[in-house]
Amino acid sequence: MVEALVQPLNIFLFGLGGSFLIPLLYRIASPLPSLAFVLALGGIALVSGACLWTVFHGQPMLESFTAGSTPPYSINLRVGPWEGVCAFSVNIVALLAAWHMWDRLRQSYAALLLFLLLVMGVNGMVMTRDLFNLFVFLEIVSIATYGLLGFDGTPAALAAGLEYILATVLASAFFLLGTTLLYHVTGTLNIDDMIAHRGLIAGPIGTTALFLVLSCLIVELKPFPANGWGLDVYDSASSGVAALVSGAVSAGVFFALFKLLPLFDSYLALIAVSGGATFLFSNLAGLRQSNAQRILGYSSIAQMGLMTLALALMRQLGADAAMPLVVGGLFVNHLLAKAGLFFLAGAVNRPQVDGWTAIAGRPLILVIFAVLLVAIAGLPPFPGFWSKWELVMRAAMAGQYAWIAVILAGSLFEIAYMFRWFKQATRAEPEQVAVRISPARMFPAGMCALLLFVSGYLAADLSGATSLWLWAPLGAAALLFLFDWLPGRVKSLSMLVLVLLIGIWIVSPVEGINRLFAVLLLSGGLVVASASFYRTDPRSGYYPLITLLLLSIAALLRAKTSLEFFFTWEMITLSSYFLIALAHRAHDHALPFLLFSIASAFCLLAGFAMAAATNGTLDLAAFAAAGKDAWPAFVMLAVGFLIKAGAVGVHVWLPGAYAEADDDLSALLSAVVSKVAMFGLFLVTYLAIRSEIGLDMAHLMGWIGLLTTLVGAAMALQQADMKRMLAYSSMSQLGYIVTAIALMSHLGWVTAFYLIANHLMVKGILFLAAAGVILRTGTRLLDENGGLVRSMPFTFAAVATALISMSGLPPLAGFGGKWLLLSAMVEKGWYGLAAIAVLATFVGFLYMFRLAYTVFLGERKAEFATVREAPLALLLPQYVLIIAILALSFFPKPFMEPISAAIDPAFAATLVWDGMSLETIYGYWNPIPVMAITVAIAAVLFGIVWLRYIYGYRRVPTTGVAVFYAFYQPALSKLVRPVAIGLWRGVSELTLGVAGSVRKLYTGNGQTYCLYVLWYVIAIHVVGTLMDLL
Amino acid sequence: MGLPVSQILLVTGFLLILIGIWGILAHRNILRIIIGFSLIDTGIHVVMVATGYVTGGTAPIIDAALGKADAAANAVDPIPSALVVTAIVIGFSVTAIMLSFAIRLYDAKKTLDIDAITDSKW
Repeated sequence: MVEALVQPLNIFLFGLGGSFLIPLLYRIASPLPSLAFVLALGGIALVSGACLWTVFHGQPMLESFTAGSTPPYSINLRVGPWEGVCAFSVNIVALLAAWHMWDRLRQSYAALLLFLLLVMGVNGMVMTRDLFNLFVFLEIVSIATYGLLGFDGTPAALAAGLEYILATVLASAFFLLGTTLLYHVTGTLNIDDMIAHRGLIAGPIGTTALFLVLSCLIVELKPFPANGWGLDVYDSASSGVAALVSGAVSAGVFFALFKLLPLFDSYLALIAVSGGATFLFSNLAGLRQSNAQRILGYSSIAQMGLMTLALALMRQLGADAAMPLVVGGLFVNHLLAKAGLFFLAGAVNRPQVDGWTAIAGRPLILVIFAVLLVAIAGLPPFPGFWSKWELVMRAAMAGQYAWIAVILAGSLFEIAYMFRWFKQATRAEPEQVAVRISPARMFPAGMCALLLFVSGYLAADLSGATSLWLWAPLGAAALLFLFDWLPGRVKSLSMLVLVLLIGIWIVSPVEGINRLFAVLLLSGGLVVASASFYRTDPRSGYYPLITLLLLSIAALLRAKTSLEFFFTWEMITLSSYFLIALAHRAHDHALPFLLFSIASAFCLLAGFAMAAATNGTLDLAAFAAAGKDAWPAFVMLAVGFLIKAGAVGVHVWLPGAYAEADDDLSALLSAVVSKVAMFGLFLVTYLAIRSEIGLDMAHLMGWIGLLTTLVGAAMALQQADMKRMLAYSSMSQLGYIVTAIALMSHLGWVTAFYLIANHLMVKGILFLAAAGVILRTGTRLLDENGGLVRSMPFTFAAVATALISMSGLPPLAGFGGKWLLLSAMVEKGWYGLAAIAVLATFVGFLYMFRLAYTVFLGERKAEFATVREAPLALLLPQYVLIIAILALSFFPKPFMEPISAAIDPAFAATLVWDGMSLETIYGYWNPIPVMAITVAIAAVLFGIVWLRYIYGYRRVPTTGVAVFYAFYQPALSKLVRPVAIGLWRGVSELTLGVAGSVRKLYTGNGQTYCLYVLWYVIAIHVVGTLMDLL
Repeated sequence: MGLPVSQILLVTGFLLILIGIWGILAHRNILRIIIGFSLIDTGIHVVMVATGYVTGGTAPIIDAALGKADAAANAVDPIPSALVVTAIVIGFSVTAIMLSFAIRLYDAKKTLDIDAITDSKW
């Protein structure tokens, strides 16, 4: 019995036997065909599962011979690891597809029969080792597909079906001709024989035959631009059939290409270009789609292109060892994610993406949808992530940077249109009726999501990234998600406990500068996150995501390799994105946040790949010993971190995301999460230390940092909304830190850390105070608030403290930070930057004062007479942070020494260090003369501004502070034209315009598509022949 | 004397393929396009048979007249012929499916003009 299961031939027994029985049973009794179908399909899946098990447990290769003789005189089947995994995963998806389509399938025995034949045919394509047999199975699959396409009666589906038939029949005719000619020149149809006698395939007939077979396979994989027929089918077929075509049929063809690849060794570049172009252009054209299934169609085609590219590239680079992870991972990832998305599209049943608001109120459906989208986008923890990482690393080691650019650009487009769709799904509209989907309807998509997690873990295992601490954040989040039905405050408490315990466990072995960050970010994160107690509503999904976010930050600080770093980095990105997306007001800002974050992550990916290529290892520790050639990697990594830090020009995502997120989340994002990018900068500046160019780049980074500070401050002064003001203020303050890091000196780095700590506390306080004010007055506008000092004295005191500390007024920590920064810049001879820093500090003081004045001082509005103090849950974290500020201000030494000690060895090992000793630094830290000088400068500046205001206004000075600001805002608004927003809007419009022209290729006319196919075949011949000649 | 039959067949076969392709691209009527596909199919079948031909060879039946030893040199290669049989069956079913699509499209649209059937695009 067990032995019978591991006989691959039994798959055909089930397939053909079932197909012949079904019409017969139909004559006998109506439920019998369904029963036979279930048994046969289950049998196929079982046999392939048993074969897979055997392959991985003892017998590495199962061979079946037929007709009582051995190849090449008979056809043989083979099941090795590749065949086993491919066939089994296809069969599992086929089972889910049958479940999904069951209502339609059981109505017609013919549909049952065709479905069974299709699945069997794909299994045959995967297992057979005979070229003509491959053709026969290809035709079985094709004919079964045509039949299933015909079952969707709509005219559009029929028209698309006809296009599909025309194109694929043409392609398979070439395959037949090619097979015959290959037989003619080699005298065998056995694939292994043919590969062994590859030398015989030469001369005009041999090469033509090869091109014909190759053309057919590539065309069947739907290459750009000869793929309109595939798109139309994905668009108009029923979701189940589309899932089969996208998953199973493509899998069969792709496997055929994989199997025959040794024959095409001279044309790998051609195959790679075909795949790469398909990936890039399909994703580009996908940007303009609004129909859910058509989006999936573009994405399917793109993913097949990516797989083709990966296959050819890995073979070309001789990276056969990486094939299972790269090609296998991409394959399984696409199969499960795309099939799941088609199933979901069928279950939700809203053709246009703007109809997907119907699932906005359904958390479980949204979670499944999100999992599938994250997987298809190649983000962690799913197999596509690990595959793409390995692919990019391999490409970088071979110096194939053009391919990296193609892969990353295409992926970015794909993420853009996929998550725009998600954006629709999260847009709750008041009058919208939420869709009701039975659990049985959701089962196939849910299963796909579950299997993706399993396969993601398996892929991580192949990458060697299965440490418990790396996956603990996900586990903790999953655990909390299971208890998402509990009341909000219970979840908040469990979140804090989980983060505290697991966080401490994660960071316990961390050393050096990472440890400092770990202590700061983990404790800061816990304090700020504890403010969530002030909300009593359940906040569905919020607490699991916060857990994931905070623990991923902890895990990031423990990362030892760039892969671990990048994995946790992406987890931070994703959890922040979903958290922002949870807030209804942030709806329009979540997508820009994600796209800029992903662009930043892709810069990091490219940078890490370059670093790995120069260092020869993924170890982050190797950064410190990087050679002179490491500067390009430094540039890519620095750009990545600067995007995430919201540097000027790429800051457009920041204000919206920070301002419109939930009030307590804004505090967390600005105070804690933004520091992760700073940590990254610390990490990569090592790369630049050894090269002259790198140091110049660092100087440039210093300028970028201070420009960011200045522009951020000027923008903050323009805002009428307190959260937007604080958001711009964050951008501004992060600029100082960037500059401090860019100083690349001991003093600079101590300063940077000091500023980071200060900003964490200050912004935590300010955003939480803003949360309290908004809670009590219900408005975020500065001018609508006023005179709250009497109602909210504690909040005012907190704001005042934070204000003093942030604007760099003595005697609080901000002053020390600013002073250290100026000293470090002067020490380095960066006088221009020092001047800008002083100016920016002044503007910073202006807007901060405005915040305190308009909200708390000034006239009290009548309607705020009964306003109460903010709740204790909000005040408590603020006062904890105030205590920290006071400690940092008045006892800096206990803080500075560990910082200095953590930084010193890093530098001592890499640099000849002619900076000052700690005592000298503290020499500057003499408050009294310093305070005097600063107050004098500030007073002079203020006097100048005030005089300018009086004479500029040509009026008797009024004392109203509001009027003062009303005068200066327009004056400064000239500085802050929306250049960056205009620029990015232009970029996006340009991309969409190109996408619009690209998709005009797809006229919808079957005859035109036949012409494209012919041109494609001819192009392959011409290019292939040219490659032979050269 | 003259051309071997296999060359005549090859030329005929490829000519049929070209005529078929021309038919697919030049005609707007779906039925004519389908006929074009049938012509390509037939052309390929003819080419297949022709590639197996051995000039002056006999039928590949091993008996008293044809020993095992000289079968390889003197008999026509039977495999292409065997393949053609399969290919003909497949070609037949594909043509049948195409025709059935044509019928259902005509029912739905009352036209067989391929330019009128462009429901999904871009």
